[in-house]
Amino acid sequence: MDKLGIRWIELLAQTISFSFVLLVLWKLAYKPIFHMLEARREKIAEGIANAEKIKAELAKTEAARQKILADAGDLANKIIAEARAAAARVSEVETQKAVTAAEQILIKAREAAAQERAATLAVLKREVGRLVVQTSMTVTGKILTPVDQNRLAEETQQQIG
Amino acid sequence: MKITKQAQREARQLFRSCLANGVLDEARVREAVSLLAELKPHGYVGILTRLHRLVKLDVAKRTVLVENAVPTTPEQAANLQARLEKQYGAGLQISYGVNPALIGGLRIQVGSDLYDGSVKTRLEKLQQSF
Repeated sequence: MDKLGIRWIELLAQTISFSFVLLVLWKLAYKPIFHMLEARREKIAEGIANAEKIKAELAKTEAARQKILADAGDLANKIIAEARAAAARVSEVETQKAVTAAEQILIKAREAAAQERAATLAVLKREVGRLVVQTSMTVTGKILTPVDQNRLAEETQQQIG
Repeated sequence: MKITKQAQREARQLFRSCLANGVLDEARVREAVSLLAELKPHGYVGILTRLHRLVKLDVAKRTVLVENAVPTTPEQAANLQARLEKQYGAGLQISYGVNPALIGGLRIQVGSDLYDGSVKTRLEKLQQSF
């Protein structure tokens, strides 16, 4: 060992001093650094976990938003369909009302025309009758012979019994 | 004026007594009225009023008005009188008139009965039917 230059006492002393330095360094330097690194690692992990969690929440929120949008769309479509159906019903009812009113107007117009026609016919009939009777009165007296007068008188007498 | 039932009954009896063969006898009526006016029985005014009404009704019932478009011939008049007496009895007062407006036929009124076979009435009915 001497040939190699190793001297046990110095080696021991150096070993002890190195161990001491190592111990001191371990206690005062490495350990806080390791603690700090561990804390940072944990923070990073926590941050990553939070980011994942936020991402999941975001995805969940996005899904909820999409669902709300889809529901809103469905509701809107339903309301539009109902509004269209109601409008169609109203339109049908109004059309029926208009048709009924038109039919009533037609019926009244026909009745009025029929009444007017009947009144005109009645007036015409009376006028024709008046003319016929007037003409008959004018002519009959001139054409009745004594025989006719006797026959008419006899007809009246037969009414007595 | 109110006529009592008694007066009405007596007036009817008096009226019946004035009939001769169902025909009112004018002489009897005159005699009955004179007698009533002379004797003046109780309620005689009512009796006279009622008798007057009965006589008036009988005269109206037996008065016949015959209207003809042309003058009625004696044959027609005789025939008509026979028919009327057969229907209404004797004692009818028949008067004849000419009404050219009738055009043809007769119009006979006996009391409230009317027989109208005139051409004018027939034409009027025809006009009404129009």
